Amino acid sequence: MTTMTIPPVQDETSAPFWEAAREGRFLIQRCPETGRFQWYPRAHSIHAPHARPEWVEASGRGELLTYSVVHRGNQRGDPYVCALIRLEEGVTVFSRVEGIAEADLRPGLPLAVAFHQLDEATSLPVFRPRPAA
Amino acid sequence: MKDLSGKAAIAGVFESPRRDAPRVHPFALQMECILGALDDAGLTLKDVDGLCAASGDWAEGGGTMDVVELAEYIGIAPTYVNSTDVGGCSYILQAGQAAAAIATGLAEVVVISYAACPRWWPLNTPSFDPFVFPAGPGQYEIPYAPTLISTYGLFARRHMDLYGTTPEQLAQVAVTFRNHAMRNPDARLRKPITVDDVLASPMIASPLHRLDCCVVTDGGGAIVMTSRERARDLKKPPVHLVGYGAAVARTQNSQIPDDLTTPAALSGPRAFAMAGVTPDEIDVAQIYDAFTITPMLALEDLGFCGRGESGAFVADGNLTLGGILPTNTDGGGLSSNHPGKRGIFTLIESVRQLRGEGPGVQVPDARLALAHGLGGTFCSAATAILAR
Repeated sequence: MTTMTIPPVQDETSAPFWEAAREGRFLIQRCPETGRFQWYPRAHSIHAPHARPEWVEASGRGELLTYSVVHRGNQRGDPYVCALIRLEEGVTVFSRVEGIAEADLRPGLPLAVAFHQLDEATSLPVFRPRPAA
Repeated sequence: MKDLSGKAAIAGVFESPRRDAPRVHPFALQMECILGALDDAGLTLKDVDGLCAASGDWAEGGGTMDVVELAEYIGIAPTYVNSTDVGGCSYILQAGQAAAAIATGLAEVVVISYAACPRWWPLNTPSFDPFVFPAGPGQYEIPYAPTLISTYGLFARRHMDLYGTTPEQLAQVAVTFRNHAMRNPDARLRKPITVDDVLASPMIASPLHRLDCCVVTDGGGAIVMTSRERARDLKKPPVHLVGYGAAVARTQNSQIPDDLTTPAALSGPRAFAMAGVTPDEIDVAQIYDAFTITPMLALEDLGFCGRGESGAFVADGNLTLGGILPTNTDGGGLSSNHPGKRGIFTLIESVRQLRGEGPGVQVPDARLALAHGLGGTFCSAATAILAR
């Protein structure tokens, strides 16, 4: 993977997310009071601010909402696709889309999560095309 | 808020004619602008008791106590300061808050100042904007190396998909403001361009080409604000701040609303309500244009056109002299001046238009002007409505 060299600063709140990512699972948070999902992970529920969100494993499936292909970035390298992906659970995440030609990118494209091991501490989720269900 | 309308006025403005300032420290450039604006108002540094700045980001010269550093550099000890930094529109937000400070007696003469020198700044000090720290919320986005332009690309692509906006319509924004810049002797880029030129320029982050992006200049500007009463007897006719609104919304890309609503949808209506006017009454607008998509979303959120209609609104020529809303009459950030936080220039050019001093195209007998800016990638917004 090109131009993906800045490792995340993992903290107390995010530790379960990155731990699961190392095992190839994508976690999101759910509010224990309202049952609503949230992304990005926080120490509190944005739906019920005094509640502590619980972690749940997401399907890892979603669809492409919008994207931008970085042709000229801050470092040299091949173009890469930054994107917003709407997960089946209803939350939107920012990630990369890989394994597809620029001309084939389109909104609604079915995607599934995959993981890149950056180092021992970090497996970074990215998204790749999947056959429509 | 209605009580604040018209209580304070902009008495002096100055935009540095520089677009390259090699080895000029941004504070030195700010001082040129501050003295220029005070001279324009017929005031001196001795009159100043308030200072507003947001000079702590990369190429701006200051650190986290930037307004203190700047006061010392200037050689004043202001009793009212504001260094709130919400990105490019900080100076519009500071103008609204300075009006409140003046109206309540916290300050009498407030200078709002900005300069940055990105063309030569040699230090690789970190930026404190939300786009660089891979910690906290940023740990889920920064590792993917989004560029600032690509985050605007996300908005532009979705606007095209949702509303049928075309690359040609985006390009028309750049062409329109270039036409204005051609008449501005200080504008960075003055050569005429066509829609085809924009589309043929290199793709930076799709769907945005090089000519969909603003210029990068060394530059600065300053304004002087005081009370309505004091402004009445100064050198230039006063321009009154009659409407103001600001809002902050998000920093992370994952929080972008589905329909691309930006905080301008909050700042705009507040400003119009305070001024007691409607969008169709505005004679001339200065709307932050970091990229071609930037003013388009603002036009929708501010109510100059409907949601999704900005592409056609621009392509129909509405932003040109003689159109419904002559916009970025100095050439804007796309062609004239963009050191990094352009908000100050939207105020300066609004004042010049209301005085009949526009350096680019001048709207005849303009009475009501709108200055609007954003910070980050539609993360924050501030709107000012100004009247003679």
